[in-house]
Parts: sequence; C-alpha cells; structure tokens
Amino acid sequence: MIPGPSSVIRVGLMILVAVVFQIACLVQIRVLGGTADITPLLVAAVALYAGSVPGAATGFFTGLLLDLALGTNLGASSLVLTAVGYGVGRYREQRDPSHGLTPIPVAAAATAAYVLAYAAVSFMLSIDAPVSLLVVREMLITVLLNALIAMPFFAITRRLLRPVLLVEPGPRARRDSTISSGPIGLRGLEV
Amino acid sequence: MYDKTVRRRRAALLIFVALSIGLLTVYFGESASGGLHAVQRGAQEALAPIEEGASRAFKPVRDAINWAGDVFDAKSENKELKDEVAQLHEDLAEAQTAQREAEQLRSLVGLPKDELFPQGTEPITARVIARSPTSWQSSIQIDKGSGAGIHEDMPVVAAGGDGGGGLAGTVTSVSGGTATVTLITDESSAVSAQVMPDGAAGIVRPTVGDPSDMLLDFIEKGRPVSTDTTVITSGTRSDRFESLFPRGIPIGQVTEVDAEERELYQRVHLEPFADLKRMDFVQVLTRRGVEQAQVLVP
Repeated sequence: MIPGPSSVIRVGLMILVAVVFQIACLVQIRVLGGTADITPLLVAAVALYAGSVPGAATGFFTGLLLDLALGTNLGASSLVLTAVGYGVGRYREQRDPSHGLTPIPVAAAATAAYVLAYAAVSFMLSIDAPVSLLVVREMLITVLLNALIAMPFFAITRRLLRPVLLVEPGPRARRDSTISSGPIGLRGLEV
Repeated sequence: MYDKTVRRRRAALLIFVALSIGLLTVYFGESASGGLHAVQRGAQEALAPIEEGASRAFKPVRDAINWAGDVFDAKSENKELKDEVAQLHEDLAEAQTAQREAEQLRSLVGLPKDELFPQGTEPITARVIARSPTSWQSSIQIDKGSGAGIHEDMPVVAAGGDGGGGLAGTVTSVSGGTATVTLITDESSAVSAQVMPDGAAGIVRPTVGDPSDMLLDFIEKGRPVSTDTTVITSGTRSDRFESLFPRGIPIGQVTEVDAEERELYQRVHLEPFADLKRMDFVQVLTRRGVEQAQVLVP
C-alpha cells in the first residue's frame, strides 16, 4: 500500500462505514440464529491486498472503534483483530495466493480465528456465567455467513483500495506450456 | 534490505499488540469516571447520529430479511399464541380480582402505592441505535442520555415478541445524548427475582450465548416451582444488597425446573418476556419507587 494521507483516509472511512453498518444494522439481521460480522472480513480483505503491516493497523483501529462505539472492554477487539490482520497479511506475503476463490477460505479462517480468539479473551477477562453450547453454533453460523459474503465483500474492498495499492492483486500470469516432443536435450525449447 | 523490512513488520506488530494490552490494562484498572471511559463516552456521543441514521436507513431492509425468517415460524407460533390468549384471559380475571383486594388491603395498612412497577416509574422511550455483535458482551446503545433525564442504574424494559414485554437491562453508562444499556443476558448481570405467586426468591443469571434461556438460582428445594409461572423483580433492599430494579417488573416465564439430588438449590430455567434479540425501541424507567417494600432473599 502506498503510504500517505490518501491511504489513511481511504482505509479510515472504510473502517468507519464497516463498524457503523455492523453495529447499527447487520447485527439485527439474524439468519439461522446467527449474524454475519463484516469487521474481521474488512481486516482480512485489507491484509490480503495490502500486506501484514496495513492489515495489523487496520485490525487495531477497527477493534478500537468497535470497542469505543459499543462501550465494551477497550483493547480486547483491537488485540484480536490486530492478530487476524497480521496473520492474513503474512499468508499473502509468503504464499502469494492468486486463485480466484481465495477470499472464501481466507474469510472463513479469519472469522473463525476472530470469534475463537475473542471468546478466549472474554473468558480470561470476566466470564462468570454459565456458557451455552449455542455459542458454538452461533460462531459456526457467523463463519459460514462470512464465507458466503466473502466474494462480493472482497471485490468491493479491492475496488476501493485499488488507487492506493502498490501492486495490483490479480491472477498470476500463466506460463506457456512446455513442449514435450522433440529430441532429447532440446525438450521444452522451440526447435 | 530484507532484514529492515522484517524488523519494521515485527515492530509494527509489537506496537499494536502492546497498545492493545496497555489499553486493556488501563481500562480495567480505572474507575467509570476515568480517562478512557470518558473518551469512550465521547466517541459514543460523536458516533450516535451516524448510528441512528444508519439504523433508520436500513430498517426496511432489516425488517424484510427478518420477516422472511419469521414466516417459517409463524404457523406453529399461531397455535401457541391462541392457547396463550385463552390462558391470559383467565389470568386477567384473576389478576383484576387480586388487584382490587390488594388495593383494599393496602389502604387498610397504609402502604405507599407508588412502590411497584409500573405505577412508581416514568418511562422514557428510546430508539436502539447499536448493539454488540458478540454473545460475550450483551449491550445496546440508545439515542437518549442524561439530557433526557436518564442516569446510570436505571432499569430498562422492552417489548416481547408476542406483544408482552419485560425487563431488558440497566443503564450502565450515560453521555449527553446516548446511553449504554447492559442487557440481562450479559454475563455480568444478576437480578434479584421472585416466582409468582408463591414468592420463592432467587437470582436470575444469564446463560451466555442463549438469550432465550436464563437461570433462576438459589431457590431452595423445599419451595416447589412449577412451569409457566411468572418471575418478577423482587426489588429487595438490605444493607448489603440493594436491587437496582423496582419491585414487580416481569422478567420471564418458567420453562423447566432442574432438581439435582446433590444440590441444595433448584435450578429454574426461564425464558425472558422481552425479545432481546430484536429490539428497535426500549423504555427507560426514570423514576423509582421511593419507598420500596423490603423483601428479604431467603
């Protein structure tokens, strides 16, 4: 990502819109007893297209805004989403995924990591009440719903980020197929 | 060059993690009037108009999607509701008789009349503008704050899915134009309650992750509790524990009673009357009964 105020403003606005949309609208739409959560999706998408450092920064500020807006434990969401952003960014830097369906497993893995890590942090901080097994079902539904909306969500994020990206992500150039016929020693060469 | 990139990347991660842990530590260490809490209240105040706008703008979409889901449940629910209406007619007749008798008795012994819900309260209706997306913290933001006369610890009620309603939570944080309500399904919630009509008292606690199943603990085994009975706030007042809620706010209906052999107490499951999954409006009860009846928890 090109460092500068343009990138900061662009990503900042995306964070604001995603957080407000999540807590004011999306959380009230229940499908099969669960809800989609676009905050880990945004962090994963930015990390996938921009790398680990922008991913971690997006995770931190998304979590911070989420905790500020909801009045929940300040820092808990930031901690978890920072780790999610960094993890997805490192995956992109090491593996350079180019498959068109990459957003789906990335979204599912990022959401699963987020809900599990957030549950662990919540347990460590203050959970005294008994916990229902329905929590697990709700987590699974969130992961499933996020995987379902991953393709359009990542496409929109990519379009919005495109002007500030250093390298335009896209399908890797396909190599020409090697020629398997011809004399031994010259196989693979144009003769 | 490679080392520099790696160092920069690791440094960024460390800084963000350290900042998060630092925020958590300070936030837990300070009181509700501390600096971070004040920043949080300021942020909520600033975001409230945007959240309210988004909540209003997307309400038709939200309702349309939720309606589609509700249609599947409507058929079975219809029969249950008809049975319930018939039962409620009987209950109403009994309640009216009991109320008339109680008023006569109260006038005889000179008890203050305004101690109970809803007579002793002044409700302020507020719109829900945001809510927590996780099951681990159950809280909502409303669009009224101290400017409308709302203060911390005031009880909040909400409508139920079948037209009734009941206790939803308490106000835990207030700014000028917004307030945070911690719901009774939050893990930190505990409400002193009584089973009606026999008056067995206990504490209502949530089951994290299942807002339709709450637990009424500390009901002694000797006190029989039957299903379908109503649980209300007891409004206890003692030197050690004072209830935040006025007496008489309906909480829920008993759905199941576990009586384990080895336990001293029964474990009573109840379903809250308030529809805590979907709330567009709530009412904050801004005036409590001054002289609450003293009901001791056994």
